[in-house]
Amino acid sequence: MKVTWVWSIAALALVAAACGGGADIEVADAWGRPSPSVAANGAFYMVITNNTDSADHLVAASSPACAVAELHESMMNDGVMGMAPVGPAGIEIPANSQTTLKVGGLHVMCIDKQAEFVAGDTFSVTLEFENAGTVDVEAEIKEG
Amino acid sequence: MTETLVPEAEHPSSRRWLGLSVLLVPLLIAGLVFWWGFNRSQPHQFSGSVIQGLSAAPDFTLSSDRGPVSLSDYAGRIVMIYFGYTFCPDVCPTTLADAAAAIDSLSDDDAEDVQLIFVTIDPARDTADRLGEYVRHFDDRFVGLTGTEEEIGSVATLYGIYYRAGEGSEATGYLMEHTATLLVIDQAGNLKIVIPFGVESDAIASDLEYMLR
Ligand SMILES: [Cu+2]
Repeated sequence: MKVTWVWSIAALALVAAACGGGADIEVADAWGRPSPSVAANGAFYMVITNNTDSADHLVAASSPACAVAELHESMMNDGVMGMAPVGPAGIEIPANSQTTLKVGGLHVMCIDKQAEFVAGDTFSVTLEFENAGTVDVEAEIKEG
Repeated sequence: MTETLVPEAEHPSSRRWLGLSVLLVPLLIAGLVFWWGFNRSQPHQFSGSVIQGLSAAPDFTLSSDRGPVSLSDYAGRIVMIYFGYTFCPDVCPTTLADAAAAIDSLSDDDAEDVQLIFVTIDPARDTADRLGEYVRHFDDRFVGLTGTEEEIGSVATLYGIYYRAGEGSEATGYLMEHTATLLVIDQAGNLKIVIPFGVESDAIASDLEYMLR
């Protein structure tokens, strides 16, 4: 219970910091789906806002929850669903705009999960942007 | 001059109410009957492509961590079949979670009449034990099936499911590309609906409710 509190406060503080306005890059609603430890991989989703006048790129991600984190995109080709790492340029966040990482599309692919993802847990995810540098977010585990 | 006999109103206000209800109650009933009939006559909008005519779902037998399972074990019930793999972090768990939520929204009796079967298209990595633990995370009643490459291949072909191993990264190893539809077989054993990826749980639930009526 206490631990949950501490996490909630930490998450709130981070959200407050991220939403404090004025940050070059703001990340909102970072989340992942609950999944058992037998599921090797997971995915994190989020909404990334670029408040600057020039495009930025999310080029890498890491998290203690994942042995390796990669930037992926799921896509449908002729009715067949596939998933692949995004190109070396990363994920573009256009100037004064936002990019949404969401189910069935762009996601932070969490490879070789280091823990079971249980609803209510949070995991820190470090995002690296070409211009804005490093941004830390807390991803909440929840159903959709 | 004839005196018209106006009966003394016992209670003028209650008489007015009586008059009104004599008029309104039949109207209300007529409205309800009309609304009910209209609703019934509206065709149900399924959330996926409907297979017209009879298309018997071919039987098959594969392995679960609790022994062999055949489609015919669930004769008389609605069966949802999904082909996926446990390595899949995005599309497969989303579909399983949506199907679980749809079944969860049904009454207990109705939920008894729906079975979800998850067939792996990655038998090299998905053992029966791994699959069982994986699918039961979403719903205790789900069944996860595997077999040899040949067995999986022939069942997938029977159901028009395409898959192949695609290139991944060093960290992921190969990643599967696959048809990500949810197939729904009705109580008579006919393939009824092919639900594409991305249909939300309440739309799936509405299809199930319609088929259970
Ligand atoms: Cu991925």
